[in-house]
Amino acid sequence: MGLFDSIRSAFGLSAEADATRDADPEDLFGMSTAYLTMEADLDFVPVGAAALCFSSVDSTDFAAAVDEVETILRAGEEDTGTVFRRHEDDHGYHWVVLEDGDPEDLVTSVHFAADTFVEEGYGSRLLAAAFGFERPRDGARAYWIYSFRRGAYYPFAPTGGHERDNRLEFKLQSVLDGELDVEGDESYWYPLWPDGSDGHPWE
Amino acid sequence: MEWKSDWGLRGRMVLTMFLLFALYIVFIAILSQYMGLFGVVVVMGLFSLGQFFFSDRLALYSMGASKVEEDEYPRLHAMVGRLSQQADLPKPTVAVADTRVPNAFATGRSPSNSTVCVTEGLLQTLDEEELEGVLAHELAHVKNRDVMVMTIASFLSTIAFLIVRWGWLFGGGRNRQGGGGMIVAILVSLVVWIVSFVLIRTLSRYREYSADRGGAAITGKPTALASALLTISGRMDRVPKEDLREQSEMNAFFVIPIRSDFVGRIFSTHPPTEKRVERLREMAAEMERR
Repeated sequence: MGLFDSIRSAFGLSAEADATRDADPEDLFGMSTAYLTMEADLDFVPVGAAALCFSSVDSTDFAAAVDEVETILRAGEEDTGTVFRRHEDDHGYHWVVLEDGDPEDLVTSVHFAADTFVEEGYGSRLLAAAFGFERPRDGARAYWIYSFRRGAYYPFAPTGGHERDNRLEFKLQSVLDGELDVEGDESYWYPLWPDGSDGHPWE
Repeated sequence: MEWKSDWGLRGRMVLTMFLLFALYIVFIAILSQYMGLFGVVVVMGLFSLGQFFFSDRLALYSMGASKVEEDEYPRLHAMVGRLSQQADLPKPTVAVADTRVPNAFATGRSPSNSTVCVTEGLLQTLDEEELEGVLAHELAHVKNRDVMVMTIASFLSTIAFLIVRWGWLFGGGRNRQGGGGMIVAILVSLVVWIVSFVLIRTLSRYREYSADRGGAAITGKPTALASALLTISGRMDRVPKEDLREQSEMNAFFVIPIRSDFVGRIFSTHPPTEKRVERLREMAAEMERR
């Protein structure tokens, strides 16, 4: 925490400023090569889906921005064959869920959607992007979550219920660190529990 | 996103802090003329450090609140987690107080060492979005380091108060000249205490406005917090007095302070609910216009 941050918090500006800090979607492209490493070194294959989680703003302008995102994704649907749908989870957060067998296309579409939010001036509402992986031999699931607030990735390996496989998460971290910008402080590795017992976080 | 910053509020807060510290500098200068400051400062320094490090446990204890695990209150934990993520904070400890009075407070000396506490009454009274608004308000306090700011701001005020209260003990006795100096020191301390008290309360009210704005920025829904404030303050009026008196010590931490008739507006730690609601509505309007 630098001097400037201390002064900002002393004057009560931190909460407002950080909640309105702009996200940097360019980091999402790091996931393109991470897909390869996940498969080659860890036997994790993509589940063919990724998602973007955001919280809404109570204004008409924001609703228009979401419409804009949908329009862009619908146009992309024809180009790349990436299917998208909207979802609102039990916590009142919104998701844009993308499905495509080609991980490259997923990364591109997630980036597209995130970038549109930023351009419309709502980068600060983006919470996380989640990329799903699965290990075929035992069906273990793992996710790379990109936190827009932190500008870093972290691993998330739920094992059903509200349990997570910390060992696997640390393993993912050690293998992918350097390739992805991995969050060093584990207290920011927020779980994104799925609503149901066995689904993805965006289900 | 950029909604309009409240520069008026920031300006007034800076001015209040400036006045407070100017007052303290004069206080120290005058005090050092008349008495050996050293002992008092060391004792009070230790006292304040203790307060700084134990205030969270003390606050929870006096509220009868206890830490709750994720499997006990999964929805509350999930909500705090998501909001912390949005606010770029590590997830604080979550505590619940078993009382019907709907309220919430945050304690802790730093963001990585903080606790957010809600009462059972709050969980029962508010709907999801309102609860989110209140939790975000408390997280904004954590983010803005309000416990630390207010502890530092109150430090010398506490010393002034203690000199007023116990100064005669040090002054009297064998040295007449020292005794005379002590009377001046006590009088100066009295003035400092009264003025700093008003300034600290003013600062505290600005921090509340700031936390309201921060909270609304985190959730993106200023009106949800506004309706929560109205719901809580409506409920507060119907709460039995005994409960209120028991908890009046805790006012500084609460999202809505407990009413007391004899304390005037200038002495209150929180701005009136109507004003906070009005400002949140203005913020909602700014968001529509941007």
